[in-house]
Order: sequence, then C-alpha cells, then structure tokens
Amino acid sequence: MMLRRYEMYSLDPAAAPAAVRSLADAFLACGRFIPEVLDSAIGTNLTDAPVRLVWEHAYESPEAYQRYMVQPFHACILDRALLADSPERVVTSNSFGAGLVGYACDGPVYRLGAGVRRLVLLDVAEDDIGPLAARVAAHAGDVDGLAVSIVAANTMGPAWMDGVTPITGRPPWSHLWEQGWESLEAFGAYRDGDSPLAVAERSGWDGTPGVTVRRAASVHYKLIAA
Amino acid sequence: MTAYMVDTIQVPPSRVDAYVALVHGVAVPVMTRAGATFESCRTTSPALGEDVDVQVTWSFADHVEWNLIRKNFVLDPAWHDLAARAVALRTGGTRRFYYPAPDPATEPASDAAVVAAR
Repeated sequence: MMLRRYEMYSLDPAAAPAAVRSLADAFLACGRFIPEVLDSAIGTNLTDAPVRLVWEHAYESPEAYQRYMVQPFHACILDRALLADSPERVVTSNSFGAGLVGYACDGPVYRLGAGVRRLVLLDVAEDDIGPLAARVAAHAGDVDGLAVSIVAANTMGPAWMDGVTPITGRPPWSHLWEQGWESLEAFGAYRDGDSPLAVAERSGWDGTPGVTVRRAASVHYKLIAA
Repeated sequence: MTAYMVDTIQVPPSRVDAYVALVHGVAVPVMTRAGATFESCRTTSPALGEDVDVQVTWSFADHVEWNLIRKNFVLDPAWHDLAARAVALRTGGTRRFYYPAPDPATEPASDAAVVAAR
C-alpha cells in the first residue's frame, strides 16, 4: 500500500525570499537524503485558497513513511523552516485545514510527468463517497487534458504520525479529488466549460445520491518536479 | 547516544528577561512534558550594544525519540501558545541539531552507529 501525501503552506510575508527558496529546494532534494520520499514535486498555488507553497510526494509503504519521520533530514532541515516554535520558520499557521492531506493507493496512480496538478478538497458529510467517486470515474475519461483523476478519503491528515493510525479527529477535508492536467489551458477549458464534471463541481455536487458535499476548495499549480 | 537541539535566539536587550522567563516558565514544562530534557539556557552579554543571543539546549536519545517528542508537543495547545509568544519577543535565530563528536584519537569517528544516528 502506497501513501500519497501533500503538505501545503502559507508563507510568512516577512520571511526572506532566500529562506523560502531553501525550503522549496529542500522539498525537491528530499529524496536524495531520504530515499523513502518518492516523486517529490512542488508548486505555487494559483487559486485564492490561503496556501502558497505545495509539496507533493509519496511513500512506497507505511513503513517507508515511518522511516521518513525519524530521518535527521526531516527534523534538521525541513522542520527548521516549518515548526511553529522554530526561529527559522518561514511558514505561517492558517485556518485552511489542509496542512497535511493524503490518501492510500495501490500504486503510483498519481504520477504526472509535467503539467498542472489540481487538488480538490471536499468536506463530505458521509464517510462513503462511492457515488461521487463513481460519477467522477464515469466522466473523467471524457475530459480533454485530464491525465490523472483520483478520488480518495483523506486518510493521511489524521494519521500523520505513522501513516495509518488516526491520532486526531475527522479532518476538515474528508476527501480529495486529485487531478493531473496536461496544461493550464486544458484545466482552464474544463473549468470554464460545461462538461458533466465541471457542471457538477459548480453546483456543489448537487444530484449525487447519498453524498452531501458541505464545502469544497481547490489548489492548483504548475508542477515543478525534483 | 544523546542528541541535542540548540536554539540560538536573538532578542533585543529590553526583552531578554521576558524571553528567559518564557523559557523557564513555559518552555521547560511544555518540552519536558513532551519528553525532552532541558540542558541549559545561556545568554550573551546585554551590554554590547547589540541583540542578545539566548541559547537554549534540549537533549533526547536519538531521532526516533525526537519523533515521539515532536508528536507530543505538536498535540499540546500550550506549545502553540509558547511558539506564538516566542515569535513576539525574538528578532531572529537558528535551530540546529548536534551529536557527540568524540576524539577520533580515542574513539573512531567512523563508528557506523554514531554516523547512522546523525
């Protein structure tokens, strides 16, 4: 079982640009120092959601994730810029509730060599969003330029310690729809178009039986891979 | 083996007492509760016409233990309050982790266990 993981950060406006660059470089370099970190990529969020820097990556297994957690590079280099009490912190706290999200998958279904990553965050009343996932699956193949489409429960948010055991309550965003687009133009055409999925998104997923989407938000960015 | 986390914080001389009081009054109980060991709190002279360095050192066994300590303090609301109060007092600083560096003449530095722990 692989673990797909996202970290999303708002940036301290007072942070030195070089320090922010160092953090972004550390995310991209992570796999060289921690081999368990796979498919590291970053991006600058282009939506109005209150996060700026996004780090996406994955792990081969929960055990690999647990090794990442105790690697010195994690504590010494990444946390230096991230932990709230660190004097070198360059990020800020925010109320968006997507600091750490992710899901389990059977393989690297998320992979996108280049293009635009989009992550739709969903706060769904029900635990099972099978009907919504089925609705997405039924139409995703018809969307021009949509190369990756995965709907999954946000299991990583509450299980950030070992990747599998929830240690906090239900996360603010219960489910994710991860997308990979060939280009910004392709995503823009979808967003502004009238495909069944675009219409469903704009309507707040009305008409999806048994699924109540209370809130939705999204981030998207041009992929910068390691 | 013991590892150390050393925060070297810059604060204006007028805020040194407040920062040191925050360390002893809040940080020590919060971090100790999380599992870290308080080692020391030292300052440079406040009479040099520059910001004062406050150097605070915590110790723990290794990065496996640090990961548990980290989990404990991240889940502690008092740690978040501590962090916010510290930000308001400091002007800058660094955080570094240190490890024992024995004399290679008496203890080979290539000790695989020590290197791995770093």
